[in-house]
Amino acid sequence: MVGFVAGLLDATVRAATVLMLAGLGEVISERAGVLNLGVEGMMLVGALSGFITTVVTGSYWLGFGVGILLGMALALIHAFLCISLKSNQVISGVMLTLLGTGITTFLGQQWVSESIEGFPQIAVPVLVDLPVLGDALFRSTATDYLAIALVPVVWYFLFRTNLGLETISVGEDPEMADTMGVDVFKMRYLAVIVGGGFAGAAGAHLSLAFSQLWVPGMTAGRGWIAVALVIFAQWRPERILVGAYLFGLLDALQLRSQSLELTLGAGAPLASLLNPVLEFVFHPTIMATYPYLATIAVLAYAVIRTRSDQLAVPSALLEAYVRSAVVPVMDYGNPHETVHRVLRSQ
Amino acid sequence: MTEEPFLRMEDIVKEFPGVVANDHVDFSVRRGEIHGLLGENGAGKSTLMKILYGLYSQDGGDIYLDGERLELASPQNAIDAGVGMVHQHFMLIPKLTVAENIVLGDREPAAAFASDGGSDGRLPDSLRTNPVVQALAQRFSLGLEAPESRIHDLAGQYGFDVDVGAKVWQLDVGQQQRVEILKALYRDVDLIILDEPTAVLTPTEAEQLFESLQQLADEGLSIIFITHKLQEVEAITDRVTVLREGKKVGTVPTADITQADLAEMMVGREVLFSLEKDPVEIGDPVLRARGLRAENERGIEALSGVDLTVREGEIVGIAGVSGNGQTELAEAIAGLRDLTAGEIVVEGIDLTGASPRAFVDNDVSFVPEDRLRYGCAADLSVMHNATMKDFRNGQFGDGQFLDYPGLREYAETLVEEFDVRGVHDVTDVEAGELSGGNLQKLILAREIHREPDLLVANQPTRGVDVGAIEFIRESLLAQRTEGTGVVLISEDLDEIMDLSDRVLVIYEGEFVHETVPEEADRGRVGLEMTGGSGEDGVEASAEAAAGAGEAR
Repeated sequence: MVGFVAGLLDATVRAATVLMLAGLGEVISERAGVLNLGVEGMMLVGALSGFITTVVTGSYWLGFGVGILLGMALALIHAFLCISLKSNQVISGVMLTLLGTGITTFLGQQWVSESIEGFPQIAVPVLVDLPVLGDALFRSTATDYLAIALVPVVWYFLFRTNLGLETISVGEDPEMADTMGVDVFKMRYLAVIVGGGFAGAAGAHLSLAFSQLWVPGMTAGRGWIAVALVIFAQWRPERILVGAYLFGLLDALQLRSQSLELTLGAGAPLASLLNPVLEFVFHPTIMATYPYLATIAVLAYAVIRTRSDQLAVPSALLEAYVRSAVVPVMDYGNPHETVHRVLRSQ
Repeated sequence: MTEEPFLRMEDIVKEFPGVVANDHVDFSVRRGEIHGLLGENGAGKSTLMKILYGLYSQDGGDIYLDGERLELASPQNAIDAGVGMVHQHFMLIPKLTVAENIVLGDREPAAAFASDGGSDGRLPDSLRTNPVVQALAQRFSLGLEAPESRIHDLAGQYGFDVDVGAKVWQLDVGQQQRVEILKALYRDVDLIILDEPTAVLTPTEAEQLFESLQQLADEGLSIIFITHKLQEVEAITDRVTVLREGKKVGTVPTADITQADLAEMMVGREVLFSLEKDPVEIGDPVLRARGLRAENERGIEALSGVDLTVREGEIVGIAGVSGNGQTELAEAIAGLRDLTAGEIVVEGIDLTGASPRAFVDNDVSFVPEDRLRYGCAADLSVMHNATMKDFRNGQFGDGQFLDYPGLREYAETLVEEFDVRGVHDVTDVEAGELSGGNLQKLILAREIHREPDLLVANQPTRGVDVGAIEFIRESLLAQRTEGTGVVLISEDLDEIMDLSDRVLVIYEGEFVHETVPEEADRGRVGLEMTGGSGEDGVEASAEAAAGAGEAR
């Protein structure tokens, strides 16, 4: 059982890194008001390009870098379509995911059988000897450590720098930001491209550290989970850390649940009643939906518990910014002037 | 005050497709002056000010500030030149703090990197003044301490009660407006444009704003005050410039002119401030509402047991300060808000708990307060909006298919009869494109033309120009003559007194006073609206209301 738990934790940490990197990138992009549903496609492009580079050059760091760059390149298309051409963010994102999936499947065929020497595991001295958690947390690849280190970096960037303040402002109210001298288009471009770089990194980690091979469609929906993770984390980087481990655990459980006897023995009370339920609940296909169910639960909770102006969703998400748009605004007269005048005449 | 103008806008021309918004307008403001800019909706006030603030560029004409010619390509240029603007809808991000909203775009680095020498001196000067370090610090750090203390001082100087560390959503509307003004003051502007600043304020807040503005003007700041409220011009401005249809009508010292003259300058003809009210036979009750209770959006009781009877040919005016349950009452009797208690009977039919559709089918018409959000579908055409309550009633087809030519004809009739302007084609123009007054006329047309038994109008003339106000009031009186029962909710006491047959004052979700316009003591009504009469008054009026109720 200890072996199972340790193995599960290990798998959780590995799975979490992918979600953490992709989720952090998506937070930056969405905070600037641009939803990027192309994460899945950008991850695949990052995974394949990183893998090919590593096969050809033998350097996994170079591969990781190329993965990031191509993730950014794909994000640039998204930025151009959504910010400059003001097209629909959802359609553009889905298109990029389909494009990324198609291109990598096509171009990746001959690379399926290749093998690489990817990121090695680095053990942190002393800490790695901690029981249960030691191996999972402190015998990891450089990319695992990097993802965790990037959580406070992104948090600091968003909430403690001028560029972060400007990023948030263009996602909340681009018109206001514009009148304050913030370059809305530049900030949104930057955020989307940086976000794409994170997605590319997540993909490169997948092929260079996580599985160390290339399989078409190897992201297996993790890009979509990253998008859900951002909502789950209510657009806060520090909650991405927690959410990534939670979703990572679900991911790890899903793969390992088959190896475990999760049903009750035939003689146990209520076995005939409970076993079908347990089989359903722990069925891998059903478990794959849990991250989305958790996201819906968090959304519902947020709506019930908080006032709308506290909701974390960036107010201008999905909104293209058209400069000096004539927004029809209700112009109220002064509702109180009469009372005002009456009182003054007393 | 010097006679030499501080701001001169000369011969400004701005054209939009199909309309000349500013037609060779000259406009000047002196230093330390509060200058009113008055005009109907669409007269070109906002366009002129948006040019001054760099949001639009003019097609012709020049702007001089303090003798220097300005080239304004963006609001940033205007701010740099010393022009600030407080927009009507606040330009604030609710999720950020007051200080963050104010310093946004300024790129103030963290204190350790402050270019004027950080107080802590942790970094050597050579490093701190290095341009590369500065550039990085301006992007990848954020200094809030110095701005916060400066904002705090500014706020103290002008008597603004604002917590610089609070998130903007935590502030009330009056405080938010002060943050907007601070945003301009923080950037050392010499001229502030205020776009209808009192629109969202309570009386006390407006009073405070006027005091602050006076103080700012005394310190030498020039203030442009955009409004279409004559009373405000009189209360606060030194001089006033009137625009009409894109042209300047004139600039006059406020002390030298009467409200009636100003109104005539605005509208271009004499405006009827008093209306002819024909005597009407009051008939049977149309609406009987008993013990209505309802909650507001936050789940707090906003309507605390209200009885209301409205008869044929009667206008019942409901006076009160905004937020005392008027919206909830209007929505309750229009069938849009769930009741927690009470019953509603319209024309003898019990509609308690019925769907909004049932209310519509039983000839209840409703003019909501927020015409853009609830009064229309802004993205649909004028035709769709004009017919959206009647397309099902068999008049336009057999229930399977709609008779589009019929719909169009009906919409065109409404547009013509109610003088809705700016509609060249009812299927082509969207409701959201109409100006406030014209949209309100369209909504009123839709609600009235179906010959309702009960018409509920919530703030029907709020925010619309003088000409449209006159038209809307006359339409309401015409409904009364036709025997419709009308509930008129308004915060404009003059309007209530001029139109109503009976006046009820609402305060904190209850009727606290009932009177008829002929016998009303305006001072008493004003006090009741603000809960100012004290316990005795409330009791007395409650008795009066009870007595009146028995009499019916």
